[in-house]
Amino acid sequence: MSDDPRYICAECGHECSLSQSNKIQCTECGYRVLYKKRTKNIIQFEAR
Amino acid sequence: MAPNTLAPMSVDKGACPKTASRSHPAKKAAGAAANPDKYSSFGKDESAADPESDLYKPIPTVQDKWKILPSFLEVRGLVKQHLDSFNYFINEDLRLIVSANARVVSDVDPSFYLKYTNVYVGKPSIEEDLTHHDIRPQECRLRELTYSAPIFVDIEYTRGRSIVGRRGVLIGRMPIMLRSSHCVLYGRTEDEVIQMEECPIDPGGYFVCKGVEKVILIQEQLSNNRIIVELDRKGFVTASVTSSTHERKSKTNLITKSNKIYLKHNSMTEDIPIAIILKAMGIESDQEIIQLIGSEQIFADAFGASLQEASLAKVFTSHQALEYIANRVRMPKRAWGGPAVQRRSRVDEARDILAQVVLAHVPVPQFYFRKKAIYIGLMIRRMILAQNDPSHIDDRDYYGNKRLELAGQLLGLLFEDLFKRFNFELKRSIDQTLSKSNRSQPFDVSRLIQVRQDVITNGLVHAISTGNWSVKRFKMERAGVTQVLSRLSFVSALGMMTRISSQFEKTRKVSGPRALQPSQFGMLCPSDTPEGEACGLIKNLALMTHVTTHVAETQIANIVFSIGAQDAELYSGTELAGSTALPGVEPYLVFLNGSMLGVVNDADKFVSEFRQIRRAGLVSEFVSVYRNSAQRCVHIASDGGRVCRPLVIVDTRTGAPRVTARHITELRLGLRSFQDFVRDGLVEYLDVNEENDSHIALYENLIHRDQTTHLEIEPFTILGVCAGVIPYPHHNQSPRNTYQCAMGKQAIGVISYNQYQRFDTLLYFICYPQRPLVTTRAFQMVDFDKLPAGQNAIIAVMSYTGYDIEDALVMNKASLDRGFARCQVLRKHSTVIKKYPNQSFDRIVGPPPGDQTGTKFGVLEADGICGVSERIEPGQIYVNKQTPINTSGTLRDLSVISDASFKSAPMTFRSPCSGYIDKVILTPNNDNQLLVKVNMRTTRRPELGDKFSSRHGQKGVVGVIVNQEDMPFTDEGLCPDIIMNPHGFPSRMTVGKMIELLAGKAGVLEGEDRYGTAFGGDKVDDMGEQLIAHGYNYFGKDYLTSGVTGEALTAYVFFGPVYYQKLKHMVMDKMHARARGPRAVLTRQPTEGRSRDGGLRLGEMERDCLIGYGASMLLLERLMTSSDEFEVDVCKRCGLLGYAGWCNYCKSSSEVSHLKIPYACKLLFQELQAMNIGKI
Repeated sequence: MSDDPRYICAECGHECSLSQSNKIQCTECGYRVLYKKRTKNIIQFEAR
Repeated sequence: MAPNTLAPMSVDKGACPKTASRSHPAKKAAGAAANPDKYSSFGKDESAADPESDLYKPIPTVQDKWKILPSFLEVRGLVKQHLDSFNYFINEDLRLIVSANARVVSDVDPSFYLKYTNVYVGKPSIEEDLTHHDIRPQECRLRELTYSAPIFVDIEYTRGRSIVGRRGVLIGRMPIMLRSSHCVLYGRTEDEVIQMEECPIDPGGYFVCKGVEKVILIQEQLSNNRIIVELDRKGFVTASVTSSTHERKSKTNLITKSNKIYLKHNSMTEDIPIAIILKAMGIESDQEIIQLIGSEQIFADAFGASLQEASLAKVFTSHQALEYIANRVRMPKRAWGGPAVQRRSRVDEARDILAQVVLAHVPVPQFYFRKKAIYIGLMIRRMILAQNDPSHIDDRDYYGNKRLELAGQLLGLLFEDLFKRFNFELKRSIDQTLSKSNRSQPFDVSRLIQVRQDVITNGLVHAISTGNWSVKRFKMERAGVTQVLSRLSFVSALGMMTRISSQFEKTRKVSGPRALQPSQFGMLCPSDTPEGEACGLIKNLALMTHVTTHVAETQIANIVFSIGAQDAELYSGTELAGSTALPGVEPYLVFLNGSMLGVVNDADKFVSEFRQIRRAGLVSEFVSVYRNSAQRCVHIASDGGRVCRPLVIVDTRTGAPRVTARHITELRLGLRSFQDFVRDGLVEYLDVNEENDSHIALYENLIHRDQTTHLEIEPFTILGVCAGVIPYPHHNQSPRNTYQCAMGKQAIGVISYNQYQRFDTLLYFICYPQRPLVTTRAFQMVDFDKLPAGQNAIIAVMSYTGYDIEDALVMNKASLDRGFARCQVLRKHSTVIKKYPNQSFDRIVGPPPGDQTGTKFGVLEADGICGVSERIEPGQIYVNKQTPINTSGTLRDLSVISDASFKSAPMTFRSPCSGYIDKVILTPNNDNQLLVKVNMRTTRRPELGDKFSSRHGQKGVVGVIVNQEDMPFTDEGLCPDIIMNPHGFPSRMTVGKMIELLAGKAGVLEGEDRYGTAFGGDKVDDMGEQLIAHGYNYFGKDYLTSGVTGEALTAYVFFGPVYYQKLKHMVMDKMHARARGPRAVLTRQPTEGRSRDGGLRLGEMERDCLIGYGASMLLLERLMTSSDEFEVDVCKRCGLLGYAGWCNYCKSSSEVSHLKIPYACKLLFQELQAMNIGKI
């Protein structure tokens, strides 16, 4: 599914998706810290 | 050793100040300054034909001597004391502790033994899913792990009938200090450190414990094993020694009671006359006792009564004395559960206590008491001297009597305790296993060890993360030893690493320990201490201070004996006490770390030879030696925890500093490092005691030939990290610098290079940081210019609008639009997706179907977690978590878990304003549960009431924000960012701020940095000249035009750049008001505190005012109607509460009335009834 949220490994930058049962671990390098990828929505920043 | 570096240093009697008074090194230098003629007269005599005429040339001033400093800090860093201490613990002390507790034996099987043959610590790693992998500090911070390394031991033990060895058995995990020798960051280049997502400037020296950065604060204590002569509460002289050995810690006091001296000790039920103690130690003859003390008349006079005490008690022989003591010995409690110890005779027990417990640090080999007797003789001698001359009384607050306990020592104490407990529990389970008779295979102890590793791991982690240090052996119970590293700004983190806390209670109203002691000169920062209750009890190390670690004693003892010391036991009492009967000989006792080594006859020669040996690098540079002529002692100290600092050595005879321009050139070319200066004997470390025995010149022109022994490297190093960043602090009133030291830690700035990678609970950083125009040398040395905390604001010192009274600032709105003092706040919100013991678990569910834009599910993505970089409004959900309803009972069917078995527990964003999702992290934590961390970011621009401060303790809040068109402007069209009221100056006397403005203005015109280094820096005169050269007023005043009227202001205004810091106290985090809102469940009164949207309390004192005024209806309204009004039915007959017009007690409704009382009042009545007070 394309708009499944994607996650990025904090170590190697590999992009992966998670299903409910999955371990929180990079499938490439085994590192256990994953960042969530930026949203695809358009964000307007408030400029004050 | 180079021969030229060891020119004989003639330390004759004139060279060292003969009196060992507490006179201060700076004072000495000041004395020298008062007598400059002496120096200039040398110059005049130069023409006289003298073979040593070069002696009379003026001493050249070495330019740029301060350049030693960066080199010093480069090799050392600012937290070297923590790292050194921890490294010593890990690499050496650990081994000593384990070898002192190396054997575990069993009571059941006498043939069994377990011996630890080696111990070592591995690399920081973690075991997950049965695999080991190395960890880095940043991973620990993100995943809330502990940055620790395994402790391995090599063991040797019996298995069945054979002796087996095994290497690398894990006994626990040791938290690792960042950047210590076992840290992964150790010895890495800047690039490698950045690769590990660490900040290269971060000093390390802290631990990461469960994801939190923890610092073990430096603890200050009175030094052990030293005699301290003091007055007790009644004004009598006492001498006390706190003996501390690895096995035992005890305090021995000699006290004066009705002119007689007694020994007071915890192990004795009453005070024992000192003569009896000495007799018990084998000094039976009265003459010998007197000779041990001193054979002059005053000693005989003062000690006569004490001697008589022994004969009155009919104690003449050693055996009688021991019997006397035995009757007064407190029986030691038998160890719990231990086998009954074979009873020894009471005399033996008394002798044992004298040998092992009283003055435990003086060794008594084979009950040969001679050394201990000499030691007691010396204590008595010092007491009698102090009775006759108060100048012999020691000063408790003298910094030479203090020792600093650092992370390594504290961890050492803790580890030893835990290791003993580990061994004790191991022994118990060994006994248990061995007592079972038939085993299928021979018992292997190494399995048991593996199981027990939690004792040490958890003990260490628990102590570091709570800060509660409890060592039962020494009855030590301390709280607050560790603190969370404050990451408000870079200086606040650095300042924490140099902080020293002392053990005094804060409530005691004594000024002594709080006062700045002259002996702290150069060691502790005179400015950096908090205000209020901890004032003077919390101190900070100065820039150059080093704290020593322990240096082994055996080698030093050998050196002492090989340069002429003789064993004290070979001397008779008369010779030791150096009576007038032996003219010309003045024997000095030599002490090594408080225990007596021997005797030297020529102390000057001995001390200078020892120093030469040290300068040649044959003993550690941190071993100190000094002479105390009043006590006729030479003290050599190699113990850990002494503060010391480097000084340039001066050849006393020629008066020439050993560091010359050539060395500085070599340093600049990179051919020389600070360590080379020490190794070549140009610079040496002096501790407080040795400093007191030296003559230190502040500047080259203050050197006195034949007197001066050392030269300061740079005077500004007397300041610490926080005070070092103040420009021109020597022009400020002293408390202002202290205020700035406290305020600099609250300034919002750049935290570290990895600040965007960090997930702290709360993190502030400034958007457009600037380096100050006026810096200091210290500023650059601590790398603060790379991580600054503030901006250069153009200020006009004038009055404007009236919204600038009481230090309020007027701000330029256009400056704020341009980004002045704009900051960002990152707040961490985290949640754990738990798994429960009954197999149920939390879950995250996506938002309900359909378009949720604008609802509370608006920012959620399909995974139920907010989208990164979405804007989130207060009240919106960022993690849509659900928890199972049944978390403890058994679940019927695991495969079908219905939605109905979950209740929703969403994480909702609570904040006064909207924010943006900065980063989201998913990671398993220590218990393998999913940890979701969300970082929210808000950008703040300064608003009314935000707090600002310059670097001179001049804080103020924004009073009004003015449109640029209304601001005054110069003829160049320049408009100030900040207008400051001139009333801030006269009473505060912060002249440094004015000079900073001048220097900053001159610097900005020249396009260069200006220096405001303490006791130096650019001169006001030069600044004025530069201003004139650029067509400005010499005094920094400018012509201004009013922005409101367009007319010229009637005065010239002091105008220029000053570095301003934005402080963390911002209105947005504090403002609070409420009309109606939540109430507490129990009392139905409004809740308390801003975080709970609480009410504003009308307190006791406000109530008193209203009572006094007689405003009864207002009182009623405030305290009841607007708070917890409650309607009740009360029966007039019985006085009890009823309901619905009915009294259940009287079973009638005839006399029930309806009224309003506070709910708290009704609650009280019912609670009283519940306690059976009143009728029910």
